Amino acid sequence: MDYFKKMRGTTQSPPRVALPEVLWSWVGAVIGIALVGLLHARMVDQAGQALLIGSFGATAVLVYGAIRSPLAQPRNVLGGHVLSALIGVCAQQTLGATPWLAAAVAVATAIAVMHLTKTLHPPGGATALIAVIGGDSVHGLGYMYALVPAGLGAVILLLVALVVNNIPKGRRYPEFWF
Amino acid sequence: MNDQCGFTDLTEEDVLDAMRSMQGYVDITPGTFREIYALAYDLALKRVRSLGKAEDIMTAPVHCLHKGMSASEAAALMAGLGISGAPVLDGEGRVCGVVSEKDYLRTMGLPGTASFMTVVSTCLSTPGCMVADMRKLLVDDIMSTPPVVASRETPVAELSEMLARHSINRLPICDDAGRPVGIVTRTDLVGSMCGR
Repeated sequence: MDYFKKMRGTTQSPPRVALPEVLWSWVGAVIGIALVGLLHARMVDQAGQALLIGSFGATAVLVYGAIRSPLAQPRNVLGGHVLSALIGVCAQQTLGATPWLAAAVAVATAIAVMHLTKTLHPPGGATALIAVIGGDSVHGLGYMYALVPAGLGAVILLLVALVVNNIPKGRRYPEFWF
Repeated sequence: MNDQCGFTDLTEEDVLDAMRSMQGYVDITPGTFREIYALAYDLALKRVRSLGKAEDIMTAPVHCLHKGMSASEAAALMAGLGISGAPVLDGEGRVCGVVSEKDYLRTMGLPGTASFMTVVSTCLSTPGCMVADMRKLLVDDIMSTPPVVASRETPVAELSEMLARHSINRLPICDDAGRPVGIVTRTDLVGSMCGR
């Protein structure tokens, strides 16, 4: 049957990248996440405001490890995080009494909106989810969550990507801005 | 897939090799790439075919020369018509060769790539008339054979490829019997690109 045949797959995995690529991905990620983490520590001390959220780990994979991907371009990184954050907060504030439902609606709606706005960025799904399951400290931020940590963190990772990814001759970033 | 020259027989291994030669992680599977390639190739083919066929852009009727005609008579005829070349017909009215400026230049001992300026400069530096020897020649002696011809159905893209490959400027369009029904020149091709 065709339906089950499809489950076998049709092609193979793309080839492994060369070692310099691995190295530059590592360098970009270590600088990007370190910078966001450092600022996070400062901000938590002084204002009790978090900056480092889980979804940035996923963004780092894309903007340092798969820099040609449409998913890793500035439009997607910024748009994906900010829009998903807004949707996550909205879901939390309207459906927060039923966390499992708020979480599901937040992630699903975030994907739909990212598709419609051509800003699909997988970590955006995590940003929307964190708005719901992030606890009181996140809930307390309200819609500000879309600017800090979501927006600001994305901007920092993007700036580091812009600086680091253009150093090696064979690498370039971005493919497009908006 | 509509495949005529094996160009679209792209193997998964070709795609993998290409991906390896590119630096960076390309987040597309070889299978998806081949799918995009096949679709894009078909679209490109459709675009090229939509340019039309020889009969859509050819000039007809075509002015012809005849075997046995003298080279000077042929030159006078072409000069009067304002053309720089023409097919040569045999006794049965079939195209048996093509005569163009290039054939005259070659007969004058100049390279095929010579231009009018070459003629002027050679004339100015050589005593006597360069074409005097040609008076005894017939078109049969100077024409290019076998003629490069095409049919009414030949796609425009193929015509331009033929002109480029043979370094020629005109292609007689013939029916199945080899009789000329029109001619496609470089000018016709340029015009066809903007729908003329």
